[in-house]
Amino acid sequence: MAIIEVNHLTKEYQLGHLTSLKETALNALRRVTFQPVHERELFKALDDVNFHIDEGEVVGIIGHNGAGKSTLLKHLANISTPTKGKVIVRGSVAPLIEVGAGVNPELTGRENIYLNGAILGIPKKVIQQKLDEIIDFSELEQFIDTPVKRYSSGMTVKLGFSIATSMEADILIVDEVLAVGDLAFQRKCFDRMEYMIKRQGKTVLIVSHNIRQIERLCNRVLLLNNGKISIDSDSKTACDEFYRQNDNRILENITNSSRAQKTDEIDLLEFKFYNEKGEETEKIEYLSSPSINFKVAVHKKIELPVFIIGIHTTDLLYIATQKSDIEIKNQPLLPGIYQYRCQLLNLQLLPGPYCLRFSVDRGQFTTNIYYGENLLRFNVLSKEISNSDSSAEGFFSINTKWEQI
Amino acid sequence: MHNIFINLYKYRELIAALTWKNIVIRYKQAYLGILWAVLKPIMLMLVFTLVKSFVGIETGGLPYPLITFAALIPWVFFQESVSEGVNSVTSNASLIKKIYFPREVFPLTAMVTKLVELLISFAILAGMMIYYQVMPTVNAVWIPAFVLYTMIVALTISFFGAAMNVYYRDIGQAIPIALSLLMYGSPVIYPLSLVQKKLVIEQAAGAWSNDLYFLYSLNPLVGIIDGFQSALIRATQPDFDVIYPGLILILTILPFSYWFFKRAESWFADVI
Repeated sequence: MAIIEVNHLTKEYQLGHLTSLKETALNALRRVTFQPVHERELFKALDDVNFHIDEGEVVGIIGHNGAGKSTLLKHLANISTPTKGKVIVRGSVAPLIEVGAGVNPELTGRENIYLNGAILGIPKKVIQQKLDEIIDFSELEQFIDTPVKRYSSGMTVKLGFSIATSMEADILIVDEVLAVGDLAFQRKCFDRMEYMIKRQGKTVLIVSHNIRQIERLCNRVLLLNNGKISIDSDSKTACDEFYRQNDNRILENITNSSRAQKTDEIDLLEFKFYNEKGEETEKIEYLSSPSINFKVAVHKKIELPVFIIGIHTTDLLYIATQKSDIEIKNQPLLPGIYQYRCQLLNLQLLPGPYCLRFSVDRGQFTTNIYYGENLLRFNVLSKEISNSDSSAEGFFSINTKWEQI
Repeated sequence: MHNIFINLYKYRELIAALTWKNIVIRYKQAYLGILWAVLKPIMLMLVFTLVKSFVGIETGGLPYPLITFAALIPWVFFQESVSEGVNSVTSNASLIKKIYFPREVFPLTAMVTKLVELLISFAILAGMMIYYQVMPTVNAVWIPAFVLYTMIVALTISFFGAAMNVYYRDIGQAIPIALSLLMYGSPVIYPLSLVQKKLVIEQAAGAWSNDLYFLYSLNPLVGIIDGFQSALIRATQPDFDVIYPGLILILTILPFSYWFFKRAESWFADVI
């Protein structure tokens, strides 16, 4: 039997202000006298959502802002009530919705552990047993008897996360909590989540904008779009589709306004991408050698100019950057128009969408005088490796030779 | 309706923890600590005693400070429980949006918090009784029943008020005003015998006198305060005739108030 069942879940919110007492009274009067009532506009945050989750499944929920992710979690955690439809949850739920919600600034760390434990429904005995473990995990031994109002914000979140994950429930609901604390603590949180998922076989629902994390942790992903489930499948397919949607959005933004910071010293007039045959294109073959042509207008004399071209993913993860100063000698550039070409030899990027960034530095102390990212987008295609092939994951292909020794 | 008691038991640890939090937070950085909680009835008693020395109120031979303090104990407990209870849901908005447990935990917690302060007031009353050499009799066994009754009255108003306050914050504003008016409609400053003398014996309001007196006794605090004074100070049985109207009224409203709260509860997270 499914541990979570969501049947025809619809949630409507009224737009605009909550009416005043006067408006409510007037509406009541109108209802009694059979006159039309002033209704406010409704907004469907969730629209006929259906899915079942079995025990032990790890499900990611992704979607753009306002797609209904958090609203959905709120229904699963029994915080909100559906307008229509039904949510059946068989088992106890540990909601890690914004950890530290119940942390009180006036109380000390230790007192907060007890209070939050009670709020999460952890019996006092269990908390007492786990106290040392919680304090240990939070890395706050030294400050545990200091009021939380004297903590840094990072310390508060660490405390919240440590308490919340010590709760033993059948279902974990996680809303963007992995992004807490410093890098080392984030790592620790991630490991703990992974441990809970893989070792303890808990049912977990995760909402995150960190798609790479979702792809790694989940074996099933729901993609929400305007309150509807547009994809319910394995994580690879759903995440790729989400990337594609995102790319389209970003592309719209690029055509509307390219993200560039300029100075009055230089302007980028042209930035074009060509395939091996010299045709302007957005699609290139895997392992081919495309080239980039760019034309700049120099307005003031530039000492020691350096051009930089970089490749990044659509979510702005920088993959590679190359500077021109090794090959082009640093002649000062006098005002005028110049054209360059940069060829990318045997590009080993795996199939997928990528973007280009371009910047210009000058002088010995490398002052940036032009910077633009998302300037162009291109797709690497391959007949041998498909976009969703799992034999090659990541961004680069590596040459491997396998043998048994 | 019996859900209240089931939840009260099921969530006893949570209510205890939240109560403890309320008390700790309120007095944490205060030098006088929890003594502040009893300062209010003591100050009011002193003021009333001062006023009484000008106007003269018949107390039946008992020391006025004692009589009025015995009235202030249930009154302040009731007043504070209600005003805390009505605001208890809205002041915990962050919890309501993040985690589920039955929402009646909030008004209940507000009341239990005040119960702790009530116990301290009793200690002070005991001290005063020793000073005035007024000894409690067997009638004092009525006190727990009156405390429970006061709690039920406070909850009845809190449930309805807290739920309404989520939608209309006017309630939170109106409650303190209504409560301070209600104090004059309850035998806090004056003893009930004064009202009985005017309305029942002297028929001061003419033909309306008996109706007015009935209306007055519909206020459950009338029965409670008079009962407190009888059981503790006057060493007599409580006067049940003034208790019934209010008690019946409250027991009739309570289920509706609770039902209203539970119905509104599902939308708290959306509107708060």
